[in-house]
Amino acid sequence: MATRVGDILTRVPGRLTLDGTAKEAIETARNRIAFGGAVFALAFTVIVVRLFDVTVFQEPREAQPPRVAQTQRPEMERADIVDRNGALLATSLVQASLYANPRQVLDPAETAAKLAQTLPGINERDLAQRLAGERSFVWVRRNLTPRQQDAVIRLGLPGVHFQREERRVYPHGELTGHIVGFTDIDKNGLMGAEQAFDESLKSRNEPVQLSIDIRAQHVLREEVAAAMKEFGAIGGAAMLMDVETGEMHAMVSLPDFDPNVRAEASPENRFNRLTLGTYEPGSAFKTFTAAMTLDYGTGNIGTAYDATRPISISRFRIDDYKPQRRVMNMSEVFMHSSNIGSVRMAESVGRDRQREFLRRVGLLQAPQFELPEIGGPQFPAQWREINMMTISFGHGISVSPLALAASTSAIVNGGIYRAPTILRRTPGERVAGERVISQRTSEQMRRLMRLVVDKGTAKSANVPGYLVGGKTGTAEKIVNGAYKKDARISSFVGAFPMNSPKFLVYMMLDEPKGNKSTYGYATAGWVVAPSIQRIVQRIAALYGIEPVDETAPTVRDQVFVNVAVR
Amino acid sequence: MLDGFSRDDGERGLLANFFEINWGLVILITVVCCIGFAMQYSAAGGSMEPWAGRQMMRFAAGLVLMVGVALVHLRWWFLLAYPIYGAGLLLLVAVEIFGRIGMGAQRWIDLGIVQFQPTELMKFGLVLVLARYFHGLPQDAIARPATLAWPVLLGLVPSALVAKQPDLGSALLLLTLTASMMFLAGVRIWKFVAVGSAILAALPLAWTQLRDYQKQRVLVFLDPENDPLGSGYHIIQSKIALGSGGIWGKGFMQGTQSYLQFLPEKQTDFIFTMYAEEFGLVGGIVLLALYSAILIYGTMIALTAKSQFGRLVAAGIMVAFWVYAFINMAMVTGLIPVVGEPLPLVSYGGTALMALLISFGLVINVSIHRGVQVRPGDDPVS
Repeated sequence: MATRVGDILTRVPGRLTLDGTAKEAIETARNRIAFGGAVFALAFTVIVVRLFDVTVFQEPREAQPPRVAQTQRPEMERADIVDRNGALLATSLVQASLYANPRQVLDPAETAAKLAQTLPGINERDLAQRLAGERSFVWVRRNLTPRQQDAVIRLGLPGVHFQREERRVYPHGELTGHIVGFTDIDKNGLMGAEQAFDESLKSRNEPVQLSIDIRAQHVLREEVAAAMKEFGAIGGAAMLMDVETGEMHAMVSLPDFDPNVRAEASPENRFNRLTLGTYEPGSAFKTFTAAMTLDYGTGNIGTAYDATRPISISRFRIDDYKPQRRVMNMSEVFMHSSNIGSVRMAESVGRDRQREFLRRVGLLQAPQFELPEIGGPQFPAQWREINMMTISFGHGISVSPLALAASTSAIVNGGIYRAPTILRRTPGERVAGERVISQRTSEQMRRLMRLVVDKGTAKSANVPGYLVGGKTGTAEKIVNGAYKKDARISSFVGAFPMNSPKFLVYMMLDEPKGNKSTYGYATAGWVVAPSIQRIVQRIAALYGIEPVDETAPTVRDQVFVNVAVR
Repeated sequence: MLDGFSRDDGERGLLANFFEINWGLVILITVVCCIGFAMQYSAAGGSMEPWAGRQMMRFAAGLVLMVGVALVHLRWWFLLAYPIYGAGLLLLVAVEIFGRIGMGAQRWIDLGIVQFQPTELMKFGLVLVLARYFHGLPQDAIARPATLAWPVLLGLVPSALVAKQPDLGSALLLLTLTASMMFLAGVRIWKFVAVGSAILAALPLAWTQLRDYQKQRVLVFLDPENDPLGSGYHIIQSKIALGSGGIWGKGFMQGTQSYLQFLPEKQTDFIFTMYAEEFGLVGGIVLLALYSAILIYGTMIALTAKSQFGRLVAAGIMVAFWVYAFINMAMVTGLIPVVGEPLPLVSYGGTALMALLISFGLVINVSIHRGVQVRPGDDPVS
């Protein structure tokens, strides 16, 4: 470059004819431009040398991705609990707790006064006394909000300090209160999943995934609450269970509580009716009476039973709720929920075999379940004739709704008992179970349960295309050792679709009262069955279960009883 | 009024002037701009959006403007020198008052349809006004310190305004331009030496006036490894990218910069890094050769111009162009601190491209009117 500029310099002036001053000025300018050109060239040469240096002579290094500052999830002392779709049911939030070292506090009275002004719920006198004490550690307030923490910092008090703490937060509040439970202030699980999985929540840093589906949970809670309100019930409960895997998709017990403010929850609200409560199942228990009769082969769905008159045994009299006073076949007994017919069936099986059967289907021991709130069954130690008779229609025995649901699942799913679970199973996983009745008995039971909804006591639970089947149960409550009139537990346990059951659905109402729309009746067919209908409709839509053509011959073959019923 | 310019030479028709345009220079500029489009396309991960397409439109508009600037008679630019400079100064003041804050600095002015940086206008405005001032000044006049007060003021005022935005890089560029123009006009060397020594002496004081981030840049330049994730991040990543390019480069669109987002501003200030990563040392040298060719062209035009005004305009613009190119390439290769100057014609940016094309229009103008003379001693505006 420099040489070319030089060429120009030597070539150009020859052509110019200028007088002295101008010539001088132009000479200067040209020289200086040439000098500038030399500087350009030098600078570019430096760049080229530098380029050589960095491209060729530098150690070849691969470019590294930029280390982006991320808000990394802080390491938590306690893992999250999530539902089957990953929705957060319990999580930990970092908060500050305020404590004081009385030895460093200069003026206990002033400190207490200022803190009481800043933080709500502090007893100023009590705090002043504790701050004046000899100890070196006094809790002032646990779990401050960031705003409160900031306010305390601004007070600038000597001797007060913050401790980093985690607080459990339950985003869904009362919706999953009974299932998730809660912890104490030191984060030890005290109830529900928090207690059941305490160890793994503390040790693992990955969430515990429950089988619960928060959407189904919401549907059930809404329906139970609506029915409670409509029929003035003091409580209610419902659950949705996968009959093939035993997974609980929804478990609702009302009244409930918000674990975020558990201090306000009464013991009654904390009480989980599904797992801890045990109730006389009433007619819902006739499912097992029919199933054992079929399974022992002492009767079939067409076998006739004499229900022409009540049964009197010692001082008891067993009669039907709506006496038909006729001979009925098994299907009719089940459909009309005849107590007399059920006693006749139990008599055909016998006392010992009845107890053996109930033990086999899991009703005489507390079900295996993860939640710690588990209630065991109550049944007579001496299994007399009278006990056999009353138990055949669900009285004189109390089981938890959870146990009832698990055993009913086995009746409809082809005869395999699987322990219910609150943990999500891997999809497609074959869950081991125990065969408790034959495949054939299970098929027949599906027909009978479908009959109840199709033509029997639970007609208002029907949903076209979803082949709902089940059994209603209405039991008078025992209060102080005596049955109380007009205080009932009305329940329904069933499954759908009955040609190939997928979900078991259970619902109960505690002390429902009849109203105009039910003509004063408060039996399960009137007060629970309509809710079952809505639950099935909504769950079917939620899970995208296709309706079946109930008139198709194959479907009819699977769910119809082939005996005459009236 | 225009007596200073003789009309015997360079007075051709517009069409004749059009054929006098240095098409070689225009082609060189276009080639360098095309490298820019390609890199902006690559920086966007192989997309005309958001940079390359827009820049091409601006280039097309700028090319027309450049030819227009070139064809106007040189005397008009001589006349317009002070108005342009004055407009630039006014806009700089306006920016100070109404300007939009962009990227942490107040550099932009919003004219409704277009936003532009008055700094860019000032870069060639200053060249024009200084060339206008030194035009026809006799050497003995230049020797008088009083004569030099005015050009120093002309340079210092816009530099101060730009530095206040704060845009230290452009302020230094304007100061360099002023000094270069004075040097080219024939101011004695010893005066530069004296002023330079004074500045060196004042450096400690200036240091205290720098903003924290500016201090940080200088300190990080001295030892980039000191702060690899903070301010040194640019330089280290840039050098890593250059090193990974090697002699032949990784190939077009194969650079890690465009895909992994190592560097912010990769389409503007650090576009040379991207380019050298994808086209290697060879590509870098090719670009430098293209720049050198443009500079040689411009220098030749300056040397052949008969009027002092034309000569100083062409030379001053070449100085500005060279300073731009040098600062940017020296910056990304770690020779000087990161000052945030774009790579001329290659970096994305509308105002800078327009200003450069207008400047080259002036250079071509000088070339077309190279025969226009000035009678010595005459004051052209008397």
